[in-house]
Amino acid sequence: MYSALILKPFFCVLIMNMFLKGWAKKTALWVALLLSVAQIIFAIFPETYHQSSFIYVISNFFKFDLAADNITRVLLLCIGIVFFVTIILAKQMIKDDDRRFNFINLLLIIVSGLNGVVLVTDIFSLYVFLEIVAVGSFVLIAFNKEMLALEGAFKYIILSSVASIMMLTAIALLLLVSGSTSFSAISASLLYSTYNPLIMIAMITFICGLFIKAGLMPFHGWLPDAYTAAPGPVSVLLAGVVTKTVGVYTLMRIVISVFGLYLPIQKILMFVGASSIIFAALAALGQTDFKRMLSFSSISQVGYIVLGLGCGTTLGIAGALFHLFNHTIFKSLLFVNAATVEAQAGTRDMQKLGGLSAKMPITGFSSVLASLSAAGIPPLAGFWSKLIIVIALWLSGNYIYAIIAVMGSVLTLAYFLSLQRMVFFGKLREDLMNIKEGGLGFMIPTVLLAVITVGAGLAFPYLLNTFILPVSSIFGG
Amino acid sequence: MHYNWLVLAIVFIPVVGAFFLPLASRVSLRFRNIAAFVLVFSSFILSLKLIPLVLSGKTVLFTREFILGFNFTLLADNLAVFMACVSSLISSIIVLYSFGYISHYENQNEYYCMVVLFLGSMMGLVFSANLILLYLFWEITAITSWRLIGFFREKNYILKADKSFLVTVFGALVMLIGFINIYQQTGTFDMISIRWLLKDPISNIAVLLILVGILSKSATLPFHTWLPDAGVAPSPVTALLHAAVLVKIGVYVFARLFLVTFTLPDIWHTLIPIIAATSAIVAACAALIETDLKRIIAYSTISQIGFIFFGFALGNTLGIAGALLYILMHGLAKAGLFLCAGIVEQNTKIKDITKLGGLIKTMPITAVAFLFCAFSVMGIPPFGGFFSKYLVFAGALEARQIWIGSVFLFGAFLTIIYLFRVFNLVFLSEAKAPLVKEASPVMIFSVALLGLLSLFSGIFINYPSFFVQRTVMQIASVAR
Repeated sequence: MYSALILKPFFCVLIMNMFLKGWAKKTALWVALLLSVAQIIFAIFPETYHQSSFIYVISNFFKFDLAADNITRVLLLCIGIVFFVTIILAKQMIKDDDRRFNFINLLLIIVSGLNGVVLVTDIFSLYVFLEIVAVGSFVLIAFNKEMLALEGAFKYIILSSVASIMMLTAIALLLLVSGSTSFSAISASLLYSTYNPLIMIAMITFICGLFIKAGLMPFHGWLPDAYTAAPGPVSVLLAGVVTKTVGVYTLMRIVISVFGLYLPIQKILMFVGASSIIFAALAALGQTDFKRMLSFSSISQVGYIVLGLGCGTTLGIAGALFHLFNHTIFKSLLFVNAATVEAQAGTRDMQKLGGLSAKMPITGFSSVLASLSAAGIPPLAGFWSKLIIVIALWLSGNYIYAIIAVMGSVLTLAYFLSLQRMVFFGKLREDLMNIKEGGLGFMIPTVLLAVITVGAGLAFPYLLNTFILPVSSIFGG
Repeated sequence: MHYNWLVLAIVFIPVVGAFFLPLASRVSLRFRNIAAFVLVFSSFILSLKLIPLVLSGKTVLFTREFILGFNFTLLADNLAVFMACVSSLISSIIVLYSFGYISHYENQNEYYCMVVLFLGSMMGLVFSANLILLYLFWEITAITSWRLIGFFREKNYILKADKSFLVTVFGALVMLIGFINIYQQTGTFDMISIRWLLKDPISNIAVLLILVGILSKSATLPFHTWLPDAGVAPSPVTALLHAAVLVKIGVYVFARLFLVTFTLPDIWHTLIPIIAATSAIVAACAALIETDLKRIIAYSTISQIGFIFFGFALGNTLGIAGALLYILMHGLAKAGLFLCAGIVEQNTKIKDITKLGGLIKTMPITAVAFLFCAFSVMGIPPFGGFFSKYLVFAGALEARQIWIGSVFLFGAFLTIIYLFRVFNLVFLSEAKAPLVKEASPVMIFSVALLGLLSLFSGIFINYPSFFVQRTVMQIASVAR
């Protein structure tokens, strides 16, 4: 029944383009919105899902090997929320019907690919879905066909294909050793030949490929350009779920269910995570472009997730997953804020902005919430996930990494304070006197995401129960 | 049973109510102001209601179990109730004074919301008996003070707000590592369980880490620079919140953790007085040469906080009693000084004390209130400050820390000098700037109230000292 999540968006695209093009141009948006709401409801209450016979027939035709534990539920929820937000932003920001129709088509393809990435249990299908997402993203980044956007998309294509080659090589090697591409078969055969050099090469190559996809520190070159140059809704999508699912979730899934947590892998993960936290945060301190600063912040926050994963204990992975969810919410919110500011003030250059809180109170206040959540200030959601990661690191004896994680929070706070100082908090600039709060299309996502950030912070015990339990169940099985 | 809900109400009436104040402003501005005062004052009244209970030796415990030991535990014992009464009393007077002071500026909704939220989270911090809960409220006070210092939106002020936020958050995070260190040793964040589980003194590294947090919040020597900067931020009310209430958080947490919950390793009983003494002397010297009115008072705060740390670090009953009384007396008197400074600055628009003078002619009430509060800070009998200072020195003698004690005596001497210098330059000497009128009645009323409270807290010293004695007895009974 999970295959419907992959198939429905895909068939929507097919049907809308083949038969109903004239009608679909107006309504594609609402169809997509319906799908996103359905996905959110399904992710929260999986038992409510009603299987229609039509989908059942089709999904028998497309045989996927699908797994759904609670980790995938969390990811499906993240994808659903960001999907919803992106559509509403697109309605506000892309006025032309034709262009909006193209956008929705690409978006549906990406969502279909993302759901696939989250659900498959076969390393080759995983690769295929990763490529579907990547191709959709290339086009979306260059959607406005501006010079910088094309440059960003081009960088992404080049580095992403390098990653693809690395992963494909690794898959070939794994197939050579285990004779199968399914997760369970590979992990079973790895148990017998852990220190086979071929396997080590395959593991390292695959993980490095995923580092590129996730934009972690030594491999991050494409990320700030792509995020910054992409149009508003696309940056939300990219920063919110695309790199998180394609890079980080896949890394989690592969490391936990396929490779297993070996000490060398853990060490690599923790080292890359910690260096991402520090260096990306330092880079973010020097930025003056709103979205570029957010991009570097994104790299830094992904570092936390990888650090928690590398810690390898149940608590660490739970923290990583929780932070993944929180990061999706607060980073999407910040990118929505950035889109609002850019649309209203006409610039992203923070030195030309100032004191916007006075005229844009909702955007200003929600950006404070998101920034504080990102910096791990209680009682917001980001605090709890960072706290769990730090506790996990400390209890597993990685004192240095725990201290790096904590001090990373100070750096995070430092660049977000300078963002607040330059954009929102401060005296309103003379030339911005006539600025107004963004329209409804900006405010719905803003308020929704801000409510989730605060709500997740206050209702953390409930959330921890739904996050901790799935992780330990994975180790049990 | 209903005392549980009383503690919960003390914390959550202001915390939740704060967010309704912007809504209240839709009704009318006066209604919002009164609502803000009622929220803060109700915390004070409810804290007073707890006094008879805790004096009879009982404590109130409210607890809800949460995952991973992040329990929601509120504990009201003598120490907590004492601190709650002091800070909510001073905060109530601040809100009263704000009616006059803040009435002609923008963003008043944010101001009242933040002040009330600050008081609420301060109450939460005072009553929390779980390290994570304590940390949570600790950071909320940091957020509110960030917004308050940057209240006037000038670039320079916001830089200073960011600075104080970063310094205190840095300290708090270091402290958090210390908490996790303790969690590693005991497997719990719950202070009451830790008290039973941890029989030995805690490790030096944990003490050091937690101390960094406490010193940064209390603006003691290596981390003190944010406080004078926060003091120059335009609103004296904000400055006052910091100097009279916020910096006491660090001192209170010191008492809560190192006197009640853990046992300090012996070496810290000599190290902390040395840190405190250095801080007291350096800050007093800075106050002597500074010319900005509010910076002087801010440095004076840093200096006086050193005395409080000294009293607690001595660890004997006299020292602790002195330090507790000091929190009360210094809070009242320093609040009075800051509010007088606010009146002077708002009316004359001058911060530099060398350009002021002779204000006693036109502002007699402010001048007398300033003098009363200054006497209390100096420790001149019969003002309240005398008794607290006396007890701290008596404690030093009993602990045989003669050398450190005499350094502090020198610090007390410097206090007298710099406060007389300020009073002399601002109120007495020849007028260098045009003389101005007194402030609005509600502002005058608040400073007069604080001045008189400083006097009466000394004359009727037996009431607070009785409470403090009970507190010290309770601390001694749980400490080993």
